[in-house]
Amino acid sequence: MTTQQLRPIVSVFPIKGKVKTIKQVPLPSVFSAPIRPDVVRFVHTNMAKNNRQAHAVSTTAGEQTSATSWGTGRAVARIPRVKGSGTGRSGQAAFGNMCRGGRMYAPKKVWRKWHRKINTNQKRYAVCSAIAATAVTPLVMSRGHRVNKLPELPLVVSDQLQSLTKTRQAVKFLKFIGAYRDVEKVIRTKKTRVGQGKYRNRRHVLRKGPMVVYARNLGIKKAFRNIPGVETASVYTLNLLKLAPGSQMGRFIIWTESAFKLLEDIYGSWEKPSKFKSGFYLPRPVMVNTDVERIIKSDQVQTVLRNRRPRSRKYGKKIQRADPYEDMSVMVKLNPYYKTKLQKQKELDEKNKKERKEIVDKSRKEYEDWLYFSEEEEEEEEEGSDEDREIEVLSDEN
Amino acid sequence: MSKQVPETIKKQAKRSFNSKEVKQEKNQKRMKLLKEIHEKAYKRAEKYEKEYLEQEQKLVELKQKALKEGSFYREPEPKLAFIIRIRGIVGVPPKPRKILQLLRLRRIYSGVFIRLNKSSLRMLHFIDPYVTWGYPDVETVRALIYKRGHARVNHQRKIIDSNEMIYDKLQKYDIVCMEDLVHEIFTVGKNFKHANSFLWAFKLKPPVGGFSTVKKSFVNKGEHGNREQYINTLVKKMI
Repeated sequence: MTTQQLRPIVSVFPIKGKVKTIKQVPLPSVFSAPIRPDVVRFVHTNMAKNNRQAHAVSTTAGEQTSATSWGTGRAVARIPRVKGSGTGRSGQAAFGNMCRGGRMYAPKKVWRKWHRKINTNQKRYAVCSAIAATAVTPLVMSRGHRVNKLPELPLVVSDQLQSLTKTRQAVKFLKFIGAYRDVEKVIRTKKTRVGQGKYRNRRHVLRKGPMVVYARNLGIKKAFRNIPGVETASVYTLNLLKLAPGSQMGRFIIWTESAFKLLEDIYGSWEKPSKFKSGFYLPRPVMVNTDVERIIKSDQVQTVLRNRRPRSRKYGKKIQRADPYEDMSVMVKLNPYYKTKLQKQKELDEKNKKERKEIVDKSRKEYEDWLYFSEEEEEEEEEGSDEDREIEVLSDEN
Repeated sequence: MSKQVPETIKKQAKRSFNSKEVKQEKNQKRMKLLKEIHEKAYKRAEKYEKEYLEQEQKLVELKQKALKEGSFYREPEPKLAFIIRIRGIVGVPPKPRKILQLLRLRRIYSGVFIRLNKSSLRMLHFIDPYVTWGYPDVETVRALIYKRGHARVNHQRKIIDSNEMIYDKLQKYDIVCMEDLVHEIFTVGKNFKHANSFLWAFKLKPPVGGFSTVKKSFVNKGEHGNREQYINTLVKKMI
């Protein structure tokens, strides 16, 4: 939009003979307008209200009695009751919306706001969106049009179409170009309307078929008039209600060449305003490039991003570690010296134990020796004098 | 027809921080670091064992020497205390409540290490009825940190399951492993503050065998207040 736009080429087809390109025209800028279903929906719902006819309930409906409430004390509800006697109607409840034959709740008035004003720019925005959508095949198909056999979409056809006068010619053309399948659909699915419209002069319901847009009416209107489902429209007065029926974008449109070219003038572009709508430029999209994924993955973005922060999974999860005093592997992980320490302690303990044992053994031995020695002494000294024995005993003790 | 790889995927594969080589490199670096930490941990643990032993022996020596000379050896006043909150949160007056909050003793049977100096002793004075505290020995400090030691990582309480965790947080204070942490806490080193704040407040179990009466002070056959070295036996029951 801000730069010189490269406009794609669209083929123009003849109306009879062979289906091949006779000419090529550039795609008008309208077809690159932003497709905004929300805008179209808003404008459509409001626009559709504008062809309504006022209706209301009679102002006197349900009020044409002189009913009065009987008040309390009569074992009946306090609703106003019809006066008089001699008829079944007397004493019956009246006036309330809950009463039989009473006035409805909030009787409809004619001065209800039937029509809606829509900002001109919004209307134009919606129409631009709708026109742009007619060139998007998936949208047209999803709207329900049978466009498989078409040579191209948008379908542009030579201006000779505008000069057709006979319906037979028109049908022949539609068949030639591959658009008749859509018409067949319409014919096939003509049904009686569901609901009360059927006996209110709206008996049949038809689908929408192709729409033929022309620049000059040289008979084309009448030629296509009687074909079920087909509508014609002048390019100067494209109606959103026709371009997006039911606020569903993607009507199948057959453009004549001059109508197609005129779109550039009628709707303008982002650089040049419209020639017919004063001061109107094509709406600008919020995003020029809507392929967000591609933008994010592009080199220009990716090279400027900082590196992904490493997810510290190591302490991310709730790790239940075993008690290091019970699980040796955990202990060693935390304190690699632990095993050595235990070993050293063990050695030390053993050493101490050994030393202690030696000491104990030594003292025990000494004691036993003394005991043994003293026993021997006793035996030897059985015959000797008491005095001698005593002395010897004493000396051994020392 | 060969399978076509989307261009974006090809481009992504080319970009450095996603490639296998970079990941491998990172992994290798990490492995190297872990090995380093492991080696350091071993050496330092060995060093500290000696140090603790020496300290003990020195103390004994000095005492014996003093005894010989007929004088007294005045041991240095303890630098480290372990405080355990032994009263609940109901009905605590504002000043003790605030002090308990400042010391991270926000729930019953929570424990923290604290450096003893004039200011902290005065704080302890105010919260005496709500806590019991004493001077832990190496084994107690070790047991607490190994068994019940949780680190404050990213404002979260995470169990210390590897030395890498300690390295990441405390490397700049030259604390790289569990034994370093224990040493820093026990000897109240230069970076005691950082080592201590790395640790989440200890959540202990109620003591096996129970308390006598929390309402009385330890000195009066109760439980609260300073119990000096008997904190070690209590921690054993609560760990």
